Amino acid sequence: MSDRLKITLLLFPALSIIIVLFFGGLLVGLMRSFNYMPVIGLTEPDLSAYIAVFTDKEFYLSFLLTFHIAFTSTVISCILAVGAALLLRRRFIGRAIVNFLFQLNLTVPHLVGAIGILYLFSQSGSFARLAAQWEMIASPSDFPALVFDPYAIGIILQYVWKEVPFIGVIVLANMQSIGEDYESVSRTLGASRWQSFRHVLLPLIFPGMLSASVMVFAFTFGAYEIPALLGANFPAALPVLAYRKYTDVDLAARPEAMAMAIVIALLSAVLIYLYVRFSRRKAGR
Amino acid sequence: MTHVSLQELTKVYPGSVEPSLDQLSLEIASGELTALLGPSGCGKTTTMKMIAGLLAPTSGDVTFDGRSVLKDKPEDRGVVMVFQNYLLFPYMTVAANIGFGLKMRKINQTEIDQRVSEMLDLVKLPDLGSRRPSELSGGQQQRVALARALIVQPNVLLLDEPLSNLDAHLRFEMRDLIRNLQQDMGITTIFVTHDQEEAVVLADKIALILDGRLKQYDVSSAFYSRPIDKATALFFGGQNFIEGQVETGVFNSVLGKMQLPAGCNNGAGILTIRPENIRIGQSPDGLNTVTASLSDKIYMGTQTRLLCQVGDSLLEVIANPNDVQEYEVGQNISLHFPRNALWVLPS
Repeated sequence: MSDRLKITLLLFPALSIIIVLFFGGLLVGLMRSFNYMPVIGLTEPDLSAYIAVFTDKEFYLSFLLTFHIAFTSTVISCILAVGAALLLRRRFIGRAIVNFLFQLNLTVPHLVGAIGILYLFSQSGSFARLAAQWEMIASPSDFPALVFDPYAIGIILQYVWKEVPFIGVIVLANMQSIGEDYESVSRTLGASRWQSFRHVLLPLIFPGMLSASVMVFAFTFGAYEIPALLGANFPAALPVLAYRKYTDVDLAARPEAMAMAIVIALLSAVLIYLYVRFSRRKAGR
Repeated sequence: MTHVSLQELTKVYPGSVEPSLDQLSLEIASGELTALLGPSGCGKTTTMKMIAGLLAPTSGDVTFDGRSVLKDKPEDRGVVMVFQNYLLFPYMTVAANIGFGLKMRKINQTEIDQRVSEMLDLVKLPDLGSRRPSELSGGQQQRVALARALIVQPNVLLLDEPLSNLDAHLRFEMRDLIRNLQQDMGITTIFVTHDQEEAVVLADKIALILDGRLKQYDVSSAFYSRPIDKATALFFGGQNFIEGQVETGVFNSVLGKMQLPAGCNNGAGILTIRPENIRIGQSPDGLNTVTASLSDKIYMGTQTRLLCQVGDSLLEVIANPNDVQEYEVGQNISLHFPRNALWVLPS
């Protein structure tokens, strides 16, 4: 048996699951988004579901909100992760413990984090009660709306809490493999600490940072559960809107839900492509 | 042109008890080219990093023209360091690499372009400005690293093993380039190397550091003719060491009585002579000559290595192949030890 055949056979079980579940699901979704759903008598494919999506004002508001959540979460996480990695690569007493604590919430599920945000930051949460108790505000309901709010602050807080260690671990490993000699060279050539970071370290860690942030962006753009738990009812994030349509009692709304899901997938792909292109151009300067 | 002074410079790394560098004191004159020579881990690079301000000493001082620079940041010291593996910024072009130091000083781009172009000519790479470092050979990368350092006109230039990554042909070329540029620009230059040959051919003076301590600081010829102790002589390829006693200018040992040059103190000592300084045959006056038994003869192309037994001492002699053609292993051979080639080390 040739090596190529052996490898193909060994990979077949894993590949078949990916092909059936991912591409199969995508194909079914695509067919339904074109109004082809024989179960309920829709046998003539058309573009009506897409037309309905693109003429709905709520869709555009949801898109803007979802983009804001993904972009803001990714940028803030990146900045904090790079800062944390810069501190953690230094030698200090207790570094191992700090490093462990920094990475600890990588193992905590998103849902647990979301419940934590609710307990801490909602208007009935711990901070609101403490603020009222210390007479900083008249009653807990006067606490600023950080959860279920139109700016998605609670959602962003949750994503930042979860994604900072994810990006941080990747960037830290990157920094450690690069070492400090490049920065030493630049310092002796006259660069200040900031110039050395801006002109030398940042371009060197950029590829690793970019890969990690693309993953975070794609995840936060397409994730459902956190916006569903911590987001406002209107406008809702795109995945929440699509899920609502999908679970509508009227089965005829499903093609619209599928059209929305396909649009989310395409938008994710396009936005990631643009983000990578823009970032590479910035790095190349 | 800067006079560099290292005063009892000591470095103990956190978690370590033994100092990596122990009370190193050196005076490096303006415009001089000095080598810090020693095996790996002896504290050479630590010394360079402390001069550059990249490491803080545990104690001691670094002064430039009499002024302590310990509180100055690396970017304010006027010291540029060229690392062994060049460390060109891989995402920049060659021209951008060379102009980096000027850009950090906020010099305008027109002037940067002009000075980069001059530098490229100086290091003989006029057409490579638009290339990336990965497209260059090792020798070309070394030149770019040197150009990047020299363009900022440093007061002190530090070179970490400047020739070690180059093949034999490029080593000669680079050695001449470094030497010429250093002399033309008059920059006080310190380089570290573990290769005594590299130190000898490049440096005005050599500081030999062994186990974190300065052993000897002198012109290169002194390390061959007047090593300070046996470890120093061994580091420079010394092979012949004979124990004995000095009595008023004469060394008594298994070799008999050897007339010494002036300056050798009375008492126990170790006589040393470099293998290439021992002559075949009798001396004209018959002094400082011994008869040895030839125990091995190895032809090495341009020279022949002889191992000669005298009593229980084995002496190594490097001779011209034509001079020792007639000698066979087992035969007796007369060896002449010229008085000025002898030196007595402390025992």
